[in-house]
Amino acid sequence: MTHDEIKSYIEKTFGDKLTLLDTGRCEPVFEVKLADWHDVARALRDDQTLQFDYLCNLGGTDTGERLEAHCQLASIKKSHRVDLKVVLDSGNPSLASVRDIWPAANWYEREMWELYGINIEGHDNLTRFLLPDDWDQGHPMRKNWDAPDFVRFPEFNA
Amino acid sequence: MELYGIFEWIYGLLADTGLPEPWLTFVVYLGLGVVIFGTLSVLALFLVWWERKIAGHIQQRFGPMRTGWHGWYQTIMDAVKLLQKEDIRVTTRDKAVFFWAPVVCFVAAYLAYVVIPFGENLWVADLNVGILYIIAVTTLTVISLLMAGWGSNNKYALLGGMRSAAQVVSYEVPMAVSILTIIVFSGSLSMVDIANSQQGNVIFNWFIFKPPFGIIAFLTYITAATAEANRTPFDIPEAEQELVAGYNVEYSGMKFAMFFLAEFVNLFTVSAIATTLFLGAWHGPLLPSWIWFLLKTFGMVLLLMLFRWTFPRLRVDQLMEFAWKFLVPLTFANLILAGWMKYAGWHW
Amino acid sequence: MSPLRTEEFTINMGPHHPSTHGVCRLILTMDGEKVLKVEPVIGYLHRSIEKICENRTYVQCVPLFDRFEYVTSMSCNMVFSLAVEKLAQIEVPERAEYLRVIMLELNRIASHLLFYGVTAMDIGALTPFLYGLRERELIVDLFEMTCGQRLTYNYIRPGGVSRDIPPEFIPKCREAVKIITEKMSDYEGLLNENPIWKVRNVGIGYLSAEDAIAWGVSGPVARASGVSYDIRKNDPYSIYDRFDFEIPVHHNGDCYDRYLQRLAEIKQSLRIVTQALDGLPEGEIQPKKKINAITFKPPAGEVYARVENSRGELGTYVVSDGTNKPLRVKMRGGSYNQLQALPIMIKDCLIADLVAIFASLDVIMPEVDR
Repeated sequence: MTHDEIKSYIEKTFGDKLTLLDTGRCEPVFEVKLADWHDVARALRDDQTLQFDYLCNLGGTDTGERLEAHCQLASIKKSHRVDLKVVLDSGNPSLASVRDIWPAANWYEREMWELYGINIEGHDNLTRFLLPDDWDQGHPMRKNWDAPDFVRFPEFNA
Repeated sequence: MELYGIFEWIYGLLADTGLPEPWLTFVVYLGLGVVIFGTLSVLALFLVWWERKIAGHIQQRFGPMRTGWHGWYQTIMDAVKLLQKEDIRVTTRDKAVFFWAPVVCFVAAYLAYVVIPFGENLWVADLNVGILYIIAVTTLTVISLLMAGWGSNNKYALLGGMRSAAQVVSYEVPMAVSILTIIVFSGSLSMVDIANSQQGNVIFNWFIFKPPFGIIAFLTYITAATAEANRTPFDIPEAEQELVAGYNVEYSGMKFAMFFLAEFVNLFTVSAIATTLFLGAWHGPLLPSWIWFLLKTFGMVLLLMLFRWTFPRLRVDQLMEFAWKFLVPLTFANLILAGWMKYAGWHW
Repeated sequence: MSPLRTEEFTINMGPHHPSTHGVCRLILTMDGEKVLKVEPVIGYLHRSIEKICENRTYVQCVPLFDRFEYVTSMSCNMVFSLAVEKLAQIEVPERAEYLRVIMLELNRIASHLLFYGVTAMDIGALTPFLYGLRERELIVDLFEMTCGQRLTYNYIRPGGVSRDIPPEFIPKCREAVKIITEKMSDYEGLLNENPIWKVRNVGIGYLSAEDAIAWGVSGPVARASGVSYDIRKNDPYSIYDRFDFEIPVHHNGDCYDRYLQRLAEIKQSLRIVTQALDGLPEGEIQPKKKINAITFKPPAGEVYARVENSRGELGTYVVSDGTNKPLRVKMRGGSYNQLQALPIMIKDCLIADLVAIFASLDVIMPEVDR
């Protein structure tokens, strides 16, 4: 399916659960409401026209103001792709696990938990992953994180 | 050259100095031991260098080139380096077992040379159970490997030790049975008698040319011997990609060097046995007997080295299956048929 | 008589182990030689490249991508350049596109040749390693001639490539292609029908097509399981739609098919290189409006670019907020998912099989840890 076909099909099928954003420069990007995330993910995989059976990528983003989760899906059978984005609650960032839909999400979710401090509901193995076992210095990928022993060089701005 | 003659000559010289009897024999045998030990150690050093050169040329490179002409004293320098290395001892080791494992390995490797005839009249002792003795003492190696595996108190070493025990015990059976086939031909267990019964008739009296039993026994012996010497495709006890280095993972310095040298002495041993049993021992035209023996043995060593640098490694269960389901039935059938033919009076 | 009691034990494979290809740690639960459970522990090479990228300008990020997956650095350069070009809508000159394809495919061949040698070494055959590296050397020499580097190239940059090829590149490249084509029969002759090789690889580490898709496994490993999916064909980038090549697929999903799959892919890559050399046009290698390494500011937006590299899907997610530094760079490598799927492939396997399976996945640890 081409981009336009996917856009119109998703808008027709899912209605207001998915909102098309204008930030995507390559594939269409849809925003998913936090509460709908797990249902939408399952529906996208099980839909016979879309068949998004393959999870390309899943990760967090810190824009400085809010935390987001981004997700890229592909269909092996239909050879098309879509990008999703979930805006998280800044006070208590939390996201439902999609391991039951795509087992591949396992490590991506552990990484989100560790580097961004996003709690993954329904993930039973949220333990130290990329960072050292005795790490106690917070979530390094957040924008407001600063390493205690880090000496910052003077910035150069054009 | 006659080893026994030299022995008697030295004995006579020492007797003239008036040394009392038990000490006299002791000193002479000690001297003989040092000679054999020195020769074999030099031979093992040479084999290490030779293997590296062969590996290099198979792999489109030169191997050692920097130390002397084509790196001829590379292994000597390696040995000197290993002597200088710190002897690292794991604190959790079993002290006695850890210490004695390389010693047992080293001694067991040299014991076989009591009966191996290097040439005409060039042997230490002609035991009437020579080949049985060899089978018995070469198996001692497995005890040392088990000791090394257990004494290191390391899981990889233990796995390596267990593997080597299973492997050597399994391959001992086809090896012994294929040797028995030769004893059927020769009618004697003595290495010298076996060698002498292959004399004459150019090369056609060699036991390898007694079709089909001789050739089958030879092939099964070579296969089992490769496993006995722990070489690829049967180098499972020290499979470096699985067990890091297997039983010798915790050894360093001179203790490691002892394992390493013993491995090459074993390689030479199995080749020497193959030469004596199948390839007419020292018999050959023109050249002196010991040169013939060395030529044939180095030919066998070369064959085993080519195996090592060509084949991938088998898996431990496949190795066992190969021994028990294929080699053992084959060697037994071979032995029974050979014995029956002999009984029926068929001469080769 | 009471039955013999056996005990499971835990063995720590790695981080320093000869066959974990870097510093991966596998916690094995074993029953004798048999592996009951495997748990990969990663993070020993975590350099936080993603965080560093957020503090660098776009062009400064390219060398960091070299370190992401160092065996095929060209693909890593390519995927980031692709993302930036999509963000800023940059047109890449024709000659640069052809040069990119030549370099990407040469790098794929080099990577698969390394796989050939390393896998054989893990199974215990030490000689093929040297054979594989000998031909890889030809390719690495070509790269050195082009960009002065042998491992981390920093050659494909946003907008084009960093410099043009020297005049002697094309004859040398054709000669290398010819030599590798001839040597392919040597590689196959050494291992393909070797009975020990087959008994060690056939039927080991089975991965079904459904599992491969569900666990996000891609590239040669997925194609060896019968998943006919290659980003070069199914989601073409650069100018791959202009070349005539096939996507080889094997169906047994075991170690042996993964090995055959990679050898078959070398042949297809050689075809692409030959076609690209034939069609290489004259012209510029950088866009007309040069990209300033410091002041370059793509418009705000987000993009996920992906390329097919020798270990599967290599992707990067780049978010721009309109400044000269990316807001977020997320890297996705094929090895990550393949290592993640390792525990489902170890059914009934011994420790020696585990080594074979690990080798057949061709995992590169910097790609996993980033």
